Amino acid sequence: MTASVVRALRPTRARRDALAGRLSEVVGLYVLSILGALALSAVLVSATGGSWRSVLSALIDGSIRNPGRWGTTIGGAIPLLTIALGTIVNAKAGLVNIGQEGQLLLGGACAAIVAVHFDAPGALVFFALAAAGVAGGAVWAGLAAALRYWRDVPEVLTTLLLVAVASQVVAFGFSTERLLLAPLSEGQGTQVQQTLRVPEGARLPRITLFGNEFPIAAFAAVILAAVVAFILARTVWGFRLRMLGSNQRTATRAGVRPARYGITAMLISGGLAGLAGVFMLTGGDFGGYRFSPGFSINFGWTGLLVALVARERAGAAVVVAFVFACLWTGSGFLAATGVERRITDVVQASLVLALLIPPAVLFIRARRRAAALRRVRV
Amino acid sequence: MGGFVEALGDILTSESSYVSAVSFAAFLAFGAVGEWVAERAGTLNISIEGMLLAGAFAAAMGFDLTSSLLVSLLFGIGAALMVASVQAQMSHRLQADQFVVGLALNILVLGLAGFLDGELDPATRRAPTVTIPLLSDIPLVGRALFDQSWLLYLIYPLIPACWWLVYRTRWGLEARSVGENPQSADASGIHVNRRRRQAIYVAGITCGAGGTYLCLAVVGSFEDSIVGGRGFISIAAVIFGGWTLRGSIAGCVLFGTVVSFRLSLPALGYQINNQIVTSAPFLLTIAGMALFAKRVRAPDALSRPFVRGIR
Amino acid sequence: MQARTFDAAGGTEKDPPAAVRMVGVTKRFGAVVACNRVDFSLQRGRIHGLLGENGAGKSTLMKILIGLVTPDAGEIYVHGERRIILDPVEAATLGLGMVHQHFSLVDALSVWENVALGEPGRLDPRAVRARVGEISDHFGLDIDPYATVGDLPAALQQRVEIIKCLRRDPSVLIFDEPTSVLTPEESWQLFDSLRRVVTDEGRAVALVSHKLDEVLQATDTATIMRQGAVVERLVTAETDAAELARAMVGRPVALRSDGALRAAPRSGQRPIEHDEPVLTIEAAAVRVGEQRELDGLDLEVFAGEIVGVAGVEGNGQSALVDVLSSLTRLHSGAVRVNGRAVPTGKSGAMAEAGIAVIPADRHDSGIVLQMTVAENLLLVHPEQVSAKGLLDPGMMSEHAQRLIDEYEIQCEGPDSPMWSLSGGNQQRVVLARELSSRPLALIAAQPTRGLDVGAIEYTTGQIRRAASNGVGVLLVSSELEEILDLSDRIVVLSQGRTAGAMARDDVDMERLGLLMGGHHA
Repeated sequence: MTASVVRALRPTRARRDALAGRLSEVVGLYVLSILGALALSAVLVSATGGSWRSVLSALIDGSIRNPGRWGTTIGGAIPLLTIALGTIVNAKAGLVNIGQEGQLLLGGACAAIVAVHFDAPGALVFFALAAAGVAGGAVWAGLAAALRYWRDVPEVLTTLLLVAVASQVVAFGFSTERLLLAPLSEGQGTQVQQTLRVPEGARLPRITLFGNEFPIAAFAAVILAAVVAFILARTVWGFRLRMLGSNQRTATRAGVRPARYGITAMLISGGLAGLAGVFMLTGGDFGGYRFSPGFSINFGWTGLLVALVARERAGAAVVVAFVFACLWTGSGFLAATGVERRITDVVQASLVLALLIPPAVLFIRARRRAAALRRVRV
Repeated sequence: MGGFVEALGDILTSESSYVSAVSFAAFLAFGAVGEWVAERAGTLNISIEGMLLAGAFAAAMGFDLTSSLLVSLLFGIGAALMVASVQAQMSHRLQADQFVVGLALNILVLGLAGFLDGELDPATRRAPTVTIPLLSDIPLVGRALFDQSWLLYLIYPLIPACWWLVYRTRWGLEARSVGENPQSADASGIHVNRRRRQAIYVAGITCGAGGTYLCLAVVGSFEDSIVGGRGFISIAAVIFGGWTLRGSIAGCVLFGTVVSFRLSLPALGYQINNQIVTSAPFLLTIAGMALFAKRVRAPDALSRPFVRGIR
Repeated sequence: MQARTFDAAGGTEKDPPAAVRMVGVTKRFGAVVACNRVDFSLQRGRIHGLLGENGAGKSTLMKILIGLVTPDAGEIYVHGERRIILDPVEAATLGLGMVHQHFSLVDALSVWENVALGEPGRLDPRAVRARVGEISDHFGLDIDPYATVGDLPAALQQRVEIIKCLRRDPSVLIFDEPTSVLTPEESWQLFDSLRRVVTDEGRAVALVSHKLDEVLQATDTATIMRQGAVVERLVTAETDAAELARAMVGRPVALRSDGALRAAPRSGQRPIEHDEPVLTIEAAAVRVGEQRELDGLDLEVFAGEIVGVAGVEGNGQSALVDVLSSLTRLHSGAVRVNGRAVPTGKSGAMAEAGIAVIPADRHDSGIVLQMTVAENLLLVHPEQVSAKGLLDPGMMSEHAQRLIDEYEIQCEGPDSPMWSLSGGNQQRVVLARELSSRPLALIAAQPTRGLDVGAIEYTTGQIRRAASNGVGVLLVSSELEEILDLSDRIVVLSQGRTAGAMARDDVDMERLGLLMGGHHA
């Protein structure tokens, strides 16, 4: 026992010194990458005649500085985080789901149909529409999972292709009043492609904190993050899911059924995307409690990116979701600066790309060092 | 049923439906041939969407600045190559996840194009047609195939050129080996990641041309929804075609035809469910994969990164 | 004795420099010295045997020569010039070619495409195909240049590999255990071709082998290694099997039959209880497409015995192990543990029934590299440290620490990631997990492949110990030596079925060879 403890300690001390040096390298790389991405966007703004200072200031105003804004930002972060959590689950199972945009849209549509057509007391309507939303998203992702395990169809492709199909399904829903389309109201010239509002009783309560208002789903999303982290790290189910994700054959021999675990993971992933749709529909920060064809506003893609930037860690996803939500709320304030609001998409995507660089560079450097060591030894 | 047959007959005899089918199919083919090369070398390149859009926007800018189609084409190819190089360098030099890079690139290009279009607003017009004598007189399909902008004609040599590149050159042999078994290729002394990067550049070139064609020959002006997810149909066509060039082109023609129904049917006075037609390429691809995925062989190392010594 | 050894540095000064000369090459893996100041040389126009038991250091030496392993000390001269070889590509440019045990071919490409792969210059399919034809005629390596490599049997794939190697016109050709995928007949054909390579073209050939027959029949000179050091250099024509065996093992050895080598005759038979087998395989059949991987295999393993499954690789071994790992479903037939049928192809069923497995490729189905040592020790039975579906981290690291101490796993602790461990220690983790689950039967597939000497000894020791504790052991190995060394009973697998069986003490090497080659004897 003692011998092995001594053996275990000796290399650790040497490693700690190396780690201290390595840590500053890591932090430096991340700072450099993020600054690089921001600088690129700033150059773009300046080159087209805008002022990057006013853009930055507008973004901060819109996201946190102005009164009431960080409440709205939290409202935006809720669906992003929920989607990211689902993505983490399927990624841990070794599956690639890039169809959250479609799952979100369909989940929202299913929830909206129930909200509009189900006549019952408010709370009951909420639970019914939430169940419908989760089911809608889950079915859309489950379809891809089923095809993967029964027909060997790569789930990357099906989830991607089903995004396009989802928007057509929604378009079909808007072709009739029996599904989504709101009936023509008095004084309205043409029928707008949107649903009726969710009945008041079925909306999520909003709370006010320091003059900032946001739906209580914020707490639900954070609790969900903790639950997902706990399940993955500390339950036998999560342990086996991670096993499957890292080495399917080892997992199969050890008693993990790939189809059962994989399909479950995808159902959870799609279900959470659907739940994000429910939160958006009933939360109040999106489209005034109405569902419309453009409902998902690319949040499915953004939520996916949140999970990837957070490197599949639920805790980190909370922070990243908030940062990305800041860009979304901040972009609303850009109109005053005269700069096209699409610049925030550029900022977001270049941030994602920039954040991919540090881990890659570290990996390559580690390999270079090993190779250099080989040359020295010869 | 009778109505459907009648409608089909009308489509088959209407010259304009061939024109729209060919223009869709050709646009898809520009993306698909490049994607095919990239996939054979092992990259499932979803930034094809971004490459097409970048090509379209740069071509519009090129035309705005010089009014020359040739310069526009070079602009388009240059911009698509820039997107391709980010994809290539990040996924096959830094070994970042190729789907993440592709997704981020698509969003980046969409944002950039939207932003720059709003700021710069390039002025364009549709390219004139170049009529090829005799061939354009072929009934029904003559006008669709041989009375178009010369940008369309680029696809004709491009398809056999890509076939020749992949099957008849050493580069192609090496690219295929890299897509099938990078470990063996590496042991044979081939630069695996370099070949993969180069295959993505090929996709960049074809997409640049495709974007230019779309913007200047089909639509005539730039808007940020101009590609609108059709890059994904190009990817679908490659998969639908079972990773053969012939199959991929057949997929493009099929999808192009189906998509053109949406325009030609109402014009001929028929009602058709718009949603089904629009989602048909995707549903067909999914159905095709579900039926054939067990039989069709994808490149073995497709979408698997290669790092020496790690399997 | 002195008269017929020859100088490692390459003979007298009048001779041209040796094609390859390695001087004082040393390589350590942790505490184990794989090569200890080894001098080795290859002459043009000669086939040179490199003989030694498993783990004697011969493979390491050859890997150093072609740049796959970097030596700690020593010098390498190629055609008289000192070279530092950092990777196989560099080795190839120096004219060193190696035919590996595992090929570097692309299955989806045709034979001629594989041969052309990795050459510089324009691709000229016609010229390549013509050259393939020439080479195959010249060396008697018959092959269809248009065939798809993945469709070819192992022996023909090896031909493609050899042709690919020869096409680059190497001055030195290294063959690493080339007969492990061949039947005896195919082996003789191969040696015939090798002879032509050497006599017609004046190349140097190194034949790495642990088989006495091969070295005696096919080589001109031989270097014998034992425990990382060169113990003898011989001219093959002037020696015999007994002398080779003595040099290889380090003491006089009684040869049982023609060429049969016994490392250490097993002392004392374990009592074998013949009441009921712990593991029974009945008429097992597995089909993959048209191919019959297993074709009516019958096998019984009793408690406390080690049954060796011998056979040329690719005769159903991997399907057999996959079935017993719940990775493949039987098309027909049954697997019974203690008489009770176990469903096949159902995740975890075999492990649940008490079948432990040391897989042939740990990374494929034995461990999860991205997880920690503690987690890897619990893959199969996490319920040991959990209650109501929740893992107890305290119990988990306790469990791990106990096994780390018991099996002397060298790592920085239970939480160190699996990839940070050496191959030998990863194997110890597999052993610790599988043996601590108190299995009824243990399947050991190529358990010593790729391990260094120390790890080999440890692994075989553990397998013996398991058997003496009453576990029924099924040892699947392509190393005949290993099987002869460990087994009580030997079963020969050929084309997916048992071609014959014999008790260890009645082994007839000739019959064994014939059975492995698919003949009935």
